[in-house]
Amino acid sequence: MVNRMTLLAVLLCWLSPEAPARAAEENDYYRLVSVSVAETSTSSRAKNWKPAPDGLALEVSGLAVLDDRRVAVAIRKGEVWILDGVYDEPPKNVTYRRFASALHEPLGLLKHGDSFYTTQRSELTKIRDTDKDGEADEYLTVAKGWGVTGGYHEYAYGPKLDRDGNLWLTLNIGMGLKGAQLDRTIKDPILGYRQGRWRGWGMKVRPDGDLVPVCAGMRSPSGIGANADGDMFYTDQQGNWVATNSLHHMREGAFFHHVEALASMSEEGSPISGVKKVPGGLPYPEAMKQFPQLRPPAVWFPYKKAGQSATDIMLDESDGKFGPFAGQLFVGEFTQAAMNRVFLEKVNGEYQGACFPFRSRFASAVLRMSQGTDGSVFVGLTNRGWSSLGTASYGLQRLVWTGDVPFEIKEMRAKPDGFELLFTKPVDREVALATSSYEMSSHAYLYHSTYGSDEIQKQHLTPNRATVSDDGLTVRLYIDGLRGLFVHELVASHIRSQDGEPLLHPHAWYTLNRIPKE
Amino acid sequence: MRNIRLWQIACVIVVLSGRGYAQSDAVPIVAGFERFARHQEISQQVAGRLLLTELSCTACHSATSDDLKPKLGPRLDGSGNRLEHEWIARFLAAPQKEKPGTTMPNVLAGFPDAGRSAAIRALAVFLSSLSEPFPDIKGNGARGVPHEFWKHGDVDQGRRLYHQVGCVACHEADEDYETVETKPSPLDQLLEQLDEDELKELGLSAASRRVPSVPHGNLAAKYSPQSLAFFLLDPHKTRTGGRMPNLKLGVVEAADITAWLLRDSKSVVIPSEQAQAYGDDVIETGRRLFGELGCSNCHSVKGIAPAKMAKPLVELNLAGPQNCVGAPRSGLPHFPLDDFQIETLKSTLTDDRNNASAPGKTLPGQQLDAQILKMNCLACHERDGRGGVGRYRRPYFETVGHVDIGDEGRLPPPLTGVGNKLQSSWLTRVLKGTGDVRSHMRIRMPLFPADQVKSLPTWLTQADRDSKTAGSEKDVFGDVSKLAEDGRLLLDTGCVQCHPLRGDAVPGVVGIDLEGIASRVQPQWFHDFLLNPGKLKPRTRMPTFFPNGKSQNAAILKGDTERQISAMWAYLKNAGKLELPPKIQKARSQNYELIPKDRPIVLRTFMDEAGTHAIAVGFPEKVHFAFDAEQVRLAHAWRGKFLDAQGTWFVRFAPPADPLGDEQVRLPPGVPFVLLKEAQGDDDDFSSPDFDAKKAGYRFQGYRLDKSGVPTFLYRYGRFGIEDLIKPGADRTLVRQLTIIDRTPEEPAVSLWFRGHFGKSLKYDRPFAYTNDAGVSMAIPAGLKHAGELEAREDGTHWIVPVKVERKKMIEVRYQW
Repeated sequence: MVNRMTLLAVLLCWLSPEAPARAAEENDYYRLVSVSVAETSTSSRAKNWKPAPDGLALEVSGLAVLDDRRVAVAIRKGEVWILDGVYDEPPKNVTYRRFASALHEPLGLLKHGDSFYTTQRSELTKIRDTDKDGEADEYLTVAKGWGVTGGYHEYAYGPKLDRDGNLWLTLNIGMGLKGAQLDRTIKDPILGYRQGRWRGWGMKVRPDGDLVPVCAGMRSPSGIGANADGDMFYTDQQGNWVATNSLHHMREGAFFHHVEALASMSEEGSPISGVKKVPGGLPYPEAMKQFPQLRPPAVWFPYKKAGQSATDIMLDESDGKFGPFAGQLFVGEFTQAAMNRVFLEKVNGEYQGACFPFRSRFASAVLRMSQGTDGSVFVGLTNRGWSSLGTASYGLQRLVWTGDVPFEIKEMRAKPDGFELLFTKPVDREVALATSSYEMSSHAYLYHSTYGSDEIQKQHLTPNRATVSDDGLTVRLYIDGLRGLFVHELVASHIRSQDGEPLLHPHAWYTLNRIPKE
Repeated sequence: MRNIRLWQIACVIVVLSGRGYAQSDAVPIVAGFERFARHQEISQQVAGRLLLTELSCTACHSATSDDLKPKLGPRLDGSGNRLEHEWIARFLAAPQKEKPGTTMPNVLAGFPDAGRSAAIRALAVFLSSLSEPFPDIKGNGARGVPHEFWKHGDVDQGRRLYHQVGCVACHEADEDYETVETKPSPLDQLLEQLDEDELKELGLSAASRRVPSVPHGNLAAKYSPQSLAFFLLDPHKTRTGGRMPNLKLGVVEAADITAWLLRDSKSVVIPSEQAQAYGDDVIETGRRLFGELGCSNCHSVKGIAPAKMAKPLVELNLAGPQNCVGAPRSGLPHFPLDDFQIETLKSTLTDDRNNASAPGKTLPGQQLDAQILKMNCLACHERDGRGGVGRYRRPYFETVGHVDIGDEGRLPPPLTGVGNKLQSSWLTRVLKGTGDVRSHMRIRMPLFPADQVKSLPTWLTQADRDSKTAGSEKDVFGDVSKLAEDGRLLLDTGCVQCHPLRGDAVPGVVGIDLEGIASRVQPQWFHDFLLNPGKLKPRTRMPTFFPNGKSQNAAILKGDTERQISAMWAYLKNAGKLELPPKIQKARSQNYELIPKDRPIVLRTFMDEAGTHAIAVGFPEKVHFAFDAEQVRLAHAWRGKFLDAQGTWFVRFAPPADPLGDEQVRLPPGVPFVLLKEAQGDDDDFSSPDFDAKKAGYRFQGYRLDKSGVPTFLYRYGRFGIEDLIKPGADRTLVRQLTIIDRTPEEPAVSLWFRGHFGKSLKYDRPFAYTNDAGVSMAIPAGLKHAGELEAREDGTHWIVPVKVERKKMIEVRYQW
């Protein structure tokens, strides 16, 4: 017995330095509460897809937080529901009330004034309950006039509100149009592209109701959102002309990727003109030289590493109630059922920045996100038509900060001679000073009509020097060989906090469109 | 250094926990041998031949017969990044100690003591030098591949998957894992109540026995999370023999199961620094030994040929002093078999030598049985009373959603007579992994290497079919060309209570979808199964609809059993194109058909007639219409049933919604009002107005619902605001109230005309009413005072009526068809 005890003691001594402290998990910092999730018996791509046999088909396609008890959700079958009791834990007594119906695949929901706004396939609609009986009785057309050929990819997303009261919406490009659908297209006389009117465009609707085309070249712009300054962004998804998922600043006259959007270049009101030739098969930096209207994304999300299909954009406006990332953007991820995080800065007047993995393992594809009054985030899920990780087909979850601060790279800023990293907690100085603690590389993408692009022109980088600020929160990396318009990847697996924790997510990808002068 | 310490730790843990991996008396475990041969449930001959292939005897001792092809060991290219270096060394030193039950012989048992450890090290260093990058797994819209997925496995989820998808069909379950309690089957209840003798008497010994598991060994000492996850994703890449099947895991599932299998362990680092510390000379020594010791006879490594073969199988004599199963001998691998295994081998080899037909020839049935044993199909499937998941593993086989549909609904199907049941082409699809029809089961039919299973459909068909059951469709059912409708109705009286069809089902029904069944099962089997299900499938839940061969439904086909069965086949053969059976149709309509009961129902969708901005409105009066919000016109009207909303609600491809009802009419194209220029004289100029809403400057503004839910469409046309209310009138007509509001009445009057009607030709009905060639009659109120004008143009005849609006005017028109 004594021997055995001794042995045990020895064993414990042996084990303690090497014993695996359980690796920190995302769940320790951001936990998921399922308000309602459902698994269907049919696969997400089945032609005969069916919702689960009981309950509401809560395929959330729009989300509007109403107050500290209720959210309103738009669902893909074309209804708006008001859910009460969604903050309860566990959310066992949620009540569901149908507010609106007969909407054609609404892909957004906004509460503005006394009305809801949603974008249906064919129009932006304002929905009101004028007699206050709890059910909408007025469906007014705020704007319409974009092409709807009947091709199923022609989703219309939004709206989201900007600081001036404009409502923004984005129009998916049409794909594989055929037959009568082609009769509903327009054709650009110079380039010959055919698409429904304003397909692949970002539009805004002025408070007076005018529909204004702003920027073009979108493929699947399923996410729209404002940053803290009220500038408007959208996300795009990898595919033809789109090398990988991306985040773009929408501003007048900007062109992003998908050239078929130029079918509407000569339409009245188009802020884009004079594109006579489209380059193809070139690295994006080269293509920009030949295509002056082409504007690089503020952030590229390297494929698979930072998601496979970016969706909604949500600004953390909670002032810290959602953790240490107040003021940053969160981007939904469909295929991987996840969420990424984005830090943006302005360099020479244009936005650029970095993305970081944030939270995985939602129950299904993340399509919509909206911040609750307590800072937690409601997440709308649906994977029908495509596929996603996770066990459910659709539903509503809530992501709640546990109050513990994860050890993360909070910000990554470009410097003329390197990058500056701001961490959420002080770093272990010795490790952080070692340049070997940072694996870095840079790459570009091809601009071409083919589906997606590999990472090309990859170069490995080693910092010459690293310095750590007195408070241990900031690390400055000095690097030779930064390349403008290239994505710079950082893997900091060796970095430890002063408490010895590894980073919860050691990866960051900075889209270095411009290298700052100072 | 670090790895040595880890190993010490591992040993201590083993000692302390008593859950040792180190059983020195372990023998190779061959699943089929352990389960059946040890209980004399297969012949000694079959058992011996199973050992010959599964221990890969024939990798060195050549046999001519195809079914004696050796299993072989894993491909070892890339072992440097897959396997932990020290584990390789330990395994080589004592395979059964490191991995009890392994079929790997101790190749170095007879090696001179002095050089053994150096030889082991050299082999291990050589294997650790074989590096091969892991494949890049492509992600796309159909497959989510998180970055470095193998690092992010979830132990709990992995544990669930391990117990659900099929791992525990062969491997040991975690005894603490709780399955959802299902009602024990009648057989289980019976087994509980009987003692050993009774079980034996009833022939239930096998059914009551615990089925031995295939041991894993200490996975955490062998694999890194990455190498184990990639192994689980594609086991056949390394284990070409395919005894470990491919469970069709997604990358996250593989990561989760990996996390579960490697739980509680600090994962090893591969490649280890230690292996890299040795020089090229050691690698070369290892490479040389790998060939010389015959490793390459079982393990393929690029660039190393198999060593020369040993004695052919027919010349083997286990009674002699020099053999692989007795005491270790220099130059021979050593298989630590137990007496029963050795005796089985001995007698098989003797039989083979003495038997004129052996070992060159094998009968088809023998080949089939041998293959089923080798691939361990019987771990899941019962065939001819042998195998199946076994009493103690049954709880791990669950239905999705824990629906109780009996053992048939959760256990893999028996293979007894399967060659008689399934068409060979369908068996092929099942084995290729594209024939999964049991989505209600958690268990997955895994994939095996094509060369191991490609003959199974043929062999099963040969073994199970006799001339009586080989009938073609025509032989069995006769002429079925006119029977489909009867079949549809017959399905309604029974089949639909348990089977979905085309994805639709009566509420609560879960089971195999009958769509496509005519391309899956044999006509004769279909016939015989319907006639008497219990005869083909004992204890089936499928009831008989023809007790004593008599139909219970005299109303269809005069109650002729044979014709009724033929009719069901006739319907199912084309079920994809035909109307659904009434009960399923009703269930479907409950799900998707919009049936206005006390209020109208509105649906925005795509429609062929009303375009891509269609707003369909259905009324309890069973008169419905569709408004085209792009062309701002009443486009289409019909009566009877309203719409099926499935396409609009749930189909990705956003198909146009089709009106379900009849008496459908297209209504004239173009906008409802035009402004005509004042021409000379009295006549306004009707020569070139635009009927196109966009060109005419119409703006659709949405709709309001009144208290009873009826929409009023709102639109603008120039200075006029128009409110358009359309609803059923008397005699199943549609009545339309158009309220026109002049928003700038102070401005000079303009000439507004209502476009009353249009047709290739218009027939005068009575004052203020015309009927067009489509049979639609339009009537305007006499109150308009002006009967309007007929304008014949190239496209047809237009009836237009001037409307004088002073601030606000309402006109009511009526559509009759």
